[in-house]
Amino acid sequence: MAKIIVVTSGKGGVGKTTSAAAIATGLALRGNKTVVIDFDVGLRNLDLVMGCERRVVYDLINVIQGEAGLNQALIRDKRTENLHILPASQTRDKEALTAEGVEKVLDTLSREYDFIVCDSPAGIEHGAQLAMYFADEAIVVTNPEVSSVRDSDRILGLLASKTRRAERSEPPVREHLLITRYDPSRVTSGDMLTLEDVREILAINLVGLIPESEAVLRASNQGVPVVHDMDSDAGQAYADTVSRLLGEDVPLRFHEYQKKGLLSRMFGGGRR
Amino acid sequence: MSLNMDRVASAFTFKGGMLPMTVMELTSADPEQIRAQLAGKVSQSPAFFQHTPVVLSVEQLDEPHLALERICAVCRAHKLLPVAVRGGTDPVKQSAWALGLGWFPPQEARPRAVEEAPLAADEPQPEVEASPEPAVGRIYRGTVRSGQQVTAPEGDLVVVGAVNPGAEVLAAGSVHVYGPLRGRALGGIHGDRQAGIFCKELHAELLSLAGNYKRLEDIDPRLLNQPVQVQLRDDQLNISSLG
Repeated sequence: MAKIIVVTSGKGGVGKTTSAAAIATGLALRGNKTVVIDFDVGLRNLDLVMGCERRVVYDLINVIQGEAGLNQALIRDKRTENLHILPASQTRDKEALTAEGVEKVLDTLSREYDFIVCDSPAGIEHGAQLAMYFADEAIVVTNPEVSSVRDSDRILGLLASKTRRAERSEPPVREHLLITRYDPSRVTSGDMLTLEDVREILAINLVGLIPESEAVLRASNQGVPVVHDMDSDAGQAYADTVSRLLGEDVPLRFHEYQKKGLLSRMFGGGRR
Repeated sequence: MSLNMDRVASAFTFKGGMLPMTVMELTSADPEQIRAQLAGKVSQSPAFFQHTPVVLSVEQLDEPHLALERICAVCRAHKLLPVAVRGGTDPVKQSAWALGLGWFPPQEARPRAVEEAPLAADEPQPEVEASPEPAVGRIYRGTVRSGQQVTAPEGDLVVVGAVNPGAEVLAAGSVHVYGPLRGRALGGIHGDRQAGIFCKELHAELLSLAGNYKRLEDIDPRLLNQPVQVQLRDDQLNISSLG
């Protein structure tokens, strides 16, 4: 039985898709058979971030409506073994996403894979609720700013009430906090909420902290998940996150402000 | 919102809401008797009679026909605004509608007030729904998150945990929060003026007791992040430190 992990946030633009791509890739790189599903029907992005947009033929909606088999729709990742992508439909109506259909797809995948990563759309509507409904674990992606924290709080409320586990009174969905776009220098200057502020309000286990990094944008545009860039701070931070998801105890990095030394200023060794 | 795609900006939106509402439980159908006793009430607590909306409950009356129009007139003369009627027979419902009032079905399985004392009790008590047994409260353990609403329709609400921004906690009685209160807290939602709000760390978006409220902006900054209690005093929310 696969573990189903939803990557969600409520607010848009905080890094859900980037995180889903990086974490799914990270899990696969560690030898786990992993599939990552894009639930954002109509605003398909995951295929771009995973760099497989030219190989999309069938999508999740086709599978749900019986127009294609699951194996026809799954795209094998070229860089990483053990990793598959199930893209969303860009053209279909998002109402075509049904609970029964999603359940069937997840059940079938569950037999084959170790991890199923669901990339949730923003918001708290139908699509987002379906993406989280069958989850065993949830990664709540949050930026260190008040609106993102409030939306994440809202999502945590839904995770506790609107999931299959909640409805069946099973053990609750395991919730993990992933803080992204963290900029220690702006935290020090008071522009951003601190790590402690966010943790205090959301009161859930911190699974990772991703620093604001140029590597993330570069990775998205190149269609190479940022965990492949192990020279970058963001890549390393996602790798740490994956390790913690797998139950390892890894110390937190990149959360403290490092004053630039003279040498790095002279040689322009900026943040990568 | 695809429904609002037309060029005309929408003039309104419908929203569900829970507003504190005083219920006036009638134990007499005689407008003159009501008038006499209301006059006494007004002299006791004039502040309460400020065009206060009330729901007239006629559940305890057995009369099929009611001089509803006269009762309403008596209420209005004493600055109570009847907005709806609860319970009663079909003719009562019809006449409520004819008067432009709403009608609510009777509350089911509600303990009937056995309190013998008529309206002219010695204490000003708009809360006429007093039940004979101590009302059962509610204990909620965990964080009340944005968008969640936790209500104790009877008695007190105790939250063991935080109430986050965007969350709402309501109680017929008092609200106790053993944690930071960052959302909205409403006590005495049926009009109980004895209710209070207590919390370990005040950062509430809104505090309300029996319909009187204070916004975060109105709160003395020195009280923020402090353990406090909130009480109603002369129709004003009084916040004092518990530290």
